[in-house]
Amino acid sequence: MDSLVSPQLLAAAMITGVLYALISLGLNLVYGTMRLLNVAHGDLVMIGAYVAFIAFSLLNIGPLVSMFGAALICGSLGWLSYKCVFQRLLSNGQLLSRLEENSLLLFFALSVIIQNLAILFFSADRKGYEYLSAIVEIGDVRLTGARLTVLIVGAVISAAVVFFLRFSLFGLAMNALIQNRDASAIVGINVDRVQMSSLIFGFGITGLAGALISMMEPITPVMGFPYTMSAFVIIILGGLGNLWGGFLAGLLLGVLEVYGVALTGPEWRSVLVYGIFVLILIFRPQGLLGSGKTAR
Amino acid sequence: MIKHLIIKTFVILGMFGMAYSAQAADPVKIGFSIPKTGMFASAGPSQLNAYLLWQDLVNAKGGLDIGGKGRRKIEFVQYDDKSNPAQAAKIYEKLITNDKVDLVVAPWGTPHHFAVAPVVERHKFPLVGNTAASVALRKVKPGYLWFTSSMMPDNVAKAMTAMLKSRGVKSVAILYNLLPFASENIQFLKPALAKAGIKIHFEAKYPPDIKDMTGMLIKVKAKNPDAVLVHSYPGDSILYMNQAREVGINAKTQYVMVGPAIGFFRGMFKSNLDGIITMGSWAPGMKGATGSQKFYTAYKKKFKGHEPDYLDTVEVYASVQILEQAIAKVGLNREKIRNAINTMTFKTIYGDVKFNGVQNGSTPSSFTQIQKGKIEVVWPKSRATAPLADKGAWAN
Repeated sequence: MDSLVSPQLLAAAMITGVLYALISLGLNLVYGTMRLLNVAHGDLVMIGAYVAFIAFSLLNIGPLVSMFGAALICGSLGWLSYKCVFQRLLSNGQLLSRLEENSLLLFFALSVIIQNLAILFFSADRKGYEYLSAIVEIGDVRLTGARLTVLIVGAVISAAVVFFLRFSLFGLAMNALIQNRDASAIVGINVDRVQMSSLIFGFGITGLAGALISMMEPITPVMGFPYTMSAFVIIILGGLGNLWGGFLAGLLLGVLEVYGVALTGPEWRSVLVYGIFVLILIFRPQGLLGSGKTAR
Repeated sequence: MIKHLIIKTFVILGMFGMAYSAQAADPVKIGFSIPKTGMFASAGPSQLNAYLLWQDLVNAKGGLDIGGKGRRKIEFVQYDDKSNPAQAAKIYEKLITNDKVDLVVAPWGTPHHFAVAPVVERHKFPLVGNTAASVALRKVKPGYLWFTSSMMPDNVAKAMTAMLKSRGVKSVAILYNLLPFASENIQFLKPALAKAGIKIHFEAKYPPDIKDMTGMLIKVKAKNPDAVLVHSYPGDSILYMNQAREVGINAKTQYVMVGPAIGFFRGMFKSNLDGIITMGSWAPGMKGATGSQKFYTAYKKKFKGHEPDYLDTVEVYASVQILEQAIAKVGLNREKIRNAINTMTFKTIYGDVKFNGVQNGSTPSSFTQIQKGKIEVVWPKSRATAPLADKGAWAN
């Protein structure tokens, strides 16, 4: 039980939570504004990780710089997929009614394409690099520089994004779209522009998260799927399309996972995480902070 | 009339001659499945690279020596099994019945070997397995399948216990991934440790998708065991390496099962890996391992300076060397190849290999240790390239 009051454990929980929160933000944004079920979400994490790996190993550029390149590349992919596919689907009333189901299939196809392209270009070999590996001591807490960086950068970016979306004019427009698409158009919001920006922004943040993850995990073309799963669990826990709820749910899941495992045992991890997920679906299907009033 | 008959005879004989010479030059078609997509995709290249290197080196010599009656080049027929054992079985059926391959080599992983076993048995195609290790494999009917691995979990458990005793280890902490090979190792390790009087101070099993080990490692540190034995795969091995340093696990014996022998892993941890013991039976230039330095040099040349996976790639390469030597002895007759594999002793980069039933009966379960950035075989002593050393303090 002593381990439960360890500041080391608290730091580990915060790192896991912040990472979860950051990864789920992009998925939530894309689902919230357009009701697109992006099952290729984890593959954007993978793209971000490869961008950071290539920048580091070929150009000697660290992930703290290349993460912006990763955001740019993934954001461009968001723009491209909006212009080529989703703009037409979102503007067609008939197709719009089936968009959620169709988007699942479209993103599944995109996921397969991205993974196969990654295998083609980089091979399926695991890749990794050493960056900020030295231990940093802060009081009783000892973290590798990479994990401390993920904690700080992840927290700052997640909080900045959530505050930007809550308090900026553009963020308010996105929130309006999340709440009611038709009413947003009536009050003069440029729905097309906001939708496109959401996809760019959502993809970009996810790519950035991938660059951060590359400092700590092996990089492979198939590394994305667990992140897709985690992100879906988090946005459902927090309330689909509720960005603030998703952020808190990410943190909560991190704390639950690390402390739950310390309390019960690692073999209970999946039972704990998915048990909470099922309980939320049964007793509060709108999510922790979801109002249940979101309309199209 | 007679003139025409003579001309026709010459034409027909000439055609036969051309057909014969074309057949003589035909490559030997060898088929296999490989996980290019799906959950094992990242493990596939360590096997595929060994096959490709073998093909290059053999073809550079003019091809496979076919029972001393000339050489024929190797041509591969390969399909993605999508990491699915059932798909692998279908692929081997197709390779044999539709693609009409001359021979097959192994798919990746234990479940895939179980899946293709009935297919090769039914069609009487000899298959020298690799990347597969489970005591259950011994239940495979001796016939057309053999396993090159020296890492059968019961043998590994005995070797590990002997290694720990030699270091005076009295207590251990065991952490293990719930995937089958790791779990099976623990199943044999615990009674072996008990028999040797080594106490287990802490034990925890964890799921493959674990994201944080801090809670477990804080408990390990509190128990202060002489050795920490982590039966992990690359993803969770990375977690251990990062978080053991954070928590301050300083046991002088630390074993990380799969990962440290792979090039990318060493690139991630560099000097922090010094002193870590891992699963493996091989180091370049090892005594009694025929051509191991040549293999190492050729691998690095072909794959742009990358090192082979000291665990899987080496075993895979040894498995095809076995096939190559059997063909050199008896030609392409599959029944004769089968008999040759059952009876011959093979000179491989893994050392001399002779099969005892379906399993490698001559290579002992062994361990390697990273010492000053280099991988050394440290156990058993008969195979060691360097003495086993204490794990010192973490580099940073």
